[in-house]
Amino acid sequence: MLTANEHLIGSAVVAALGLWLMLPPSGERLRALGLVVAASGLGWLMSRMPGLGTWAADAAFWSLAAATSAAAVATVVSRNPVYSALWFALSLLGTAGVFALQGAQFLAVATIVVYAGAIVVTFLFVLMLAQPDGTAYYDRVGWGRVTSLLACACPAVIVGVLAMMLSSSLAGFEAGTATVAELAANVRHEEHVARLGGTLFTDHLVAVELAGTLLLVALVGAVAITAQDRQKTDARKTHGGGASR
Amino acid sequence: MSEAALLHNSLMLGAILFAVGMVGMVVRRNMIVMFLCAEMMLQGVSVSLVAWGRFHNDFGGQMLVIFILTVAACEAGLGLALFVVLFHRSGNLDITYWQELREENQAAFMDREVPEEDREKTIWPQLTPSGVEPAANPEEELHRSRV
Repeated sequence: MLTANEHLIGSAVVAALGLWLMLPPSGERLRALGLVVAASGLGWLMSRMPGLGTWAADAAFWSLAAATSAAAVATVVSRNPVYSALWFALSLLGTAGVFALQGAQFLAVATIVVYAGAIVVTFLFVLMLAQPDGTAYYDRVGWGRVTSLLACACPAVIVGVLAMMLSSSLAGFEAGTATVAELAANVRHEEHVARLGGTLFTDHLVAVELAGTLLLVALVGAVAITAQDRQKTDARKTHGGGASR
Repeated sequence: MSEAALLHNSLMLGAILFAVGMVGMVVRRNMIVMFLCAEMMLQGVSVSLVAWGRFHNDFGGQMLVIFILTVAACEAGLGLALFVVLFHRSGNLDITYWQELREENQAAFMDREVPEEDREKTIWPQLTPSGVEPAANPEEELHRSRV
């Protein structure tokens, strides 16, 4: 029989192998095989994780976690970048669900509004401007099989070793947990958003101001980059340069 | 609900998200998909931060995630502006197009054997021609406007 650590490493390696089979140069059949292998690897890994205590919490967390990681894998393996962006939005919804499950309600909503609502939509805009006809050869080919195998091996080791280290320090976590009453007084307070805002605008006021400045600088920078490019192209056209580069 | 198990499982989910994002960053050649994968790595870190914040009963983790959101929004705005400019210059989103980017008197360091597409595998299906092609009527060409 396998030891606990061998289970963790083995499942991480199986999941990575499945991911490798699904990556770009593969055809339809290899991708279907990879889907089965990756799903079984992830399922194996999840079955070795400790339970949360109640079946409702388990069901909620694991369905969200499965949706998040499946959508993440689909983001990476999709040939069409538009599908990639949509799968990424689904993975963000799963992450928002995990935030909500942990009591971070504001972050759950902010993730949906800022990430799925604004950032992914901007990505889709640029994709449709830049690549209106779906897949291109560089999406279908990638870097080749050897590179992607190496690229998958490295994270498999990271996830496997992290799982081993976490499972050995689980007892230490048990000793350090806050009680329900302590949580209810601080992080899981009834007026969660009020508490969060209080901390944000007292302890981190300078950081808030800095973040606002950063947003302004990024806005000006983005406009400057596109405007400069347009000026250069116009200048080239009017001076009869002709060549686009 | 067991707090220790929740921390453990959330850290694992964060690690999986980070690892998948890392694979995508290395493996994909489309600049926008690479950028999406970088955002996914940020999400993995955010999941871990929120889990640690709950474990220590402290708002610090959530604060950091709020600032990560801000920086990610800035990053997306600037990055996408750059991608639009790069697309205007190169005509595609392939990152290998820019591998010759360097200072003027530097020796070129090029990746050789970047995989190209197999021409034979990209032949599209064709319908077999059926029937006889009608002969062009010269009289009709005289008065008929071009369709």
